[in-house]
Amino acid sequence: MSSRRSTRLLVVLVVLALLSLVPFAGAQEPIKIGLQAPITGPWAYEGEMAYNCVKIVADWINAAGGILGRPVQIVLGDDQGQPQQSALAAQRMVSERVVAVVGTYGSSVNDPAAAIYERNKIVNVAYGSTAETLTQQGRKYFFRTCFRDDKQGEFFANFAVDVLGAKRIAIIHDNTTFGKGLAEAALRPLQAQTKAEVVFYDAITPGERDFTAILGRMSLTNPDVVYFTGYYAEAGLIIRQMRTMSIAATFVGGNAAVNDEFVKIAGLDVAKGALMTQEPMPTDLEYPESKAFIEEYVRRHGAPPSSPWPVYAADAFKVICAAIEATGSTNSETLMNYLHDGLKDYPGITGPISFDANGDREGAIYLAYEVFGEGDFRPRR
Amino acid sequence: MVFFLNQMINGLTVGAVYALVALGYTMVYGVMRLINFAHGEFFMIGSYLGYTTLVMVLADSGLPLWLMLLIATAASTVGVAILGVSVEQVAYRPLRKSGRLAAVVSALGVSQFLQNAAMLVWGARYQAYPPWSAPEATWRVASVNISFMQVLIMAVSLLLMVGLYMFVQRTTAGTAIRATAIDHDTARLMGINVDHVIRLIFIIGPALGAIAGVLLGLYYRQIHFSVGWSYGLKAFTAAILGGIGNIPGAMLGGLLLGILEMLGAGYISAAWKDVMVFLILILLLIFRPTGLLGERVAEKV
Repeated sequence: MSSRRSTRLLVVLVVLALLSLVPFAGAQEPIKIGLQAPITGPWAYEGEMAYNCVKIVADWINAAGGILGRPVQIVLGDDQGQPQQSALAAQRMVSERVVAVVGTYGSSVNDPAAAIYERNKIVNVAYGSTAETLTQQGRKYFFRTCFRDDKQGEFFANFAVDVLGAKRIAIIHDNTTFGKGLAEAALRPLQAQTKAEVVFYDAITPGERDFTAILGRMSLTNPDVVYFTGYYAEAGLIIRQMRTMSIAATFVGGNAAVNDEFVKIAGLDVAKGALMTQEPMPTDLEYPESKAFIEEYVRRHGAPPSSPWPVYAADAFKVICAAIEATGSTNSETLMNYLHDGLKDYPGITGPISFDANGDREGAIYLAYEVFGEGDFRPRR
Repeated sequence: MVFFLNQMINGLTVGAVYALVALGYTMVYGVMRLINFAHGEFFMIGSYLGYTTLVMVLADSGLPLWLMLLIATAASTVGVAILGVSVEQVAYRPLRKSGRLAAVVSALGVSQFLQNAAMLVWGARYQAYPPWSAPEATWRVASVNISFMQVLIMAVSLLLMVGLYMFVQRTTAGTAIRATAIDHDTARLMGINVDHVIRLIFIIGPALGAIAGVLLGLYYRQIHFSVGWSYGLKAFTAAILGGIGNIPGAMLGGLLLGILEMLGAGYISAAWKDVMVFLILILLLIFRPTGLLGERVAEKV
């Protein structure tokens, strides 16, 4: 009798001990999700804001108990905005065994990383890489929450011809995957119509500061609208040098030119009246998710993100978490299939999100922004 | 013709700055046979120091603009000269007896260090010289555009280059520099303090770079911690083009490079500008390895 009782006690103790092990093995181990972004280098500014955005989403998810009972953990990879560093950052993500990756910002930087993630079957959701080529290579694990360049190019063509009434259009790009892709996407629809003609098409070298030579040659063709598809640092210099050289053409920038830095570099007197084609700024988003998110961002950092891109990083993080939650799995293939077919009109911060077969986000939301008197950007309605 | 003249003016402006920065490369190479890859960073930090002095110290001082610019340039020059001497002391002097490669690697390290230090101090964002700091005046002479800043850059560069040339050719210190450039040991035997000469080189070179940095900051207004590298590379090319180690060569190389770039971008395509510049450099090195004004130096065995 006594020996039977002690055996029973032993069994109970063993079961209790085993049970106590379960939460240790399961709930404590975090789900690692990578963020590959330019934390240092010329685009460090963008990388920092992307991290801030992703951090808010992760904090919210963890405050609400995590996903599948496990906390999420951000694994940060710095690609410095350079293709070589991008490959290194991607390899680090692979060796860290992350479930999925958010990133990255620049298209030409994203390409080598996407190839590595594809080879290692890791879902990667870009937040600022809009070049068409990225989704034309049959990659299964590549997605993006931002929109593709050719949609913005088409928007510019219609806007310049129908709204601005342009007759002679000059297009300048910066030979990056992104800038060239957008320039070509604008060129195609413009060549297909007869109301306006493209009189000048050339490229500058990013990182340089003197564009007087190319602008001088451009001025010989008398354009009435100039479309620059590069980044804000060069955009600010170009518009300033244009005005110094008394070239009066309307300046329209692509979506990478929209930034407070543009106004700072160009000077307010020069920047005023400049136009931009781009996705809605975070503060112009009118979805219920966006309001709460931007309020939290302002509470933490004092001001809303000054470019649209970081918010797409937050959305990329959200869809990854939604996929893990919905499938109850951290298996890459399951997540990939779910993002392609299962996720429909997910309520993101930047609007409803669905992905097509190539990993591109469906739909397209663009606006023409104008620089107003105080250096503020507002949609031109 | 108007187009050509405009391009020449733009080219000479940029070229004058390349020449100023190239002088730093060429003087260090002449005396130490070292390619100082950190030199571009002196230029970059010069831009930032000028900016900081203007924005943080002088903005509300009520002084006339020309005086503020003068003070900012002076402060930047002194600051960068001190930095130059310290870099020599810390990163190059201990390696003087080691192989040349060690010093070059050390120079690359210093370059990375200064870039990242600048990023930490001034932030990763682009900074811009305030609108009130840069004189905006532009003249139109027979439909050729020329701005006050362009004239200022060309005038200051020319003055500095002539001044440096006179200094090196006419003064005792200049003679010491030239003697050290020819042979350290013999110079030492003639009673020249080689360490002093090298320190002097690391005052003059970075100081010229700092002035160039402030001038370009005012001209383009935009500054960033990464510009040092690209200007350094261009100025290095200019120094090679003119014949490295040769002071008039660096001046000629800088101006030529600026003009070539502008003509390339103006007449062919801005995207092919650098291709053209480096093609010319390669051709020149094939047919005249010592550069335009460089003289063949007998290799010591």
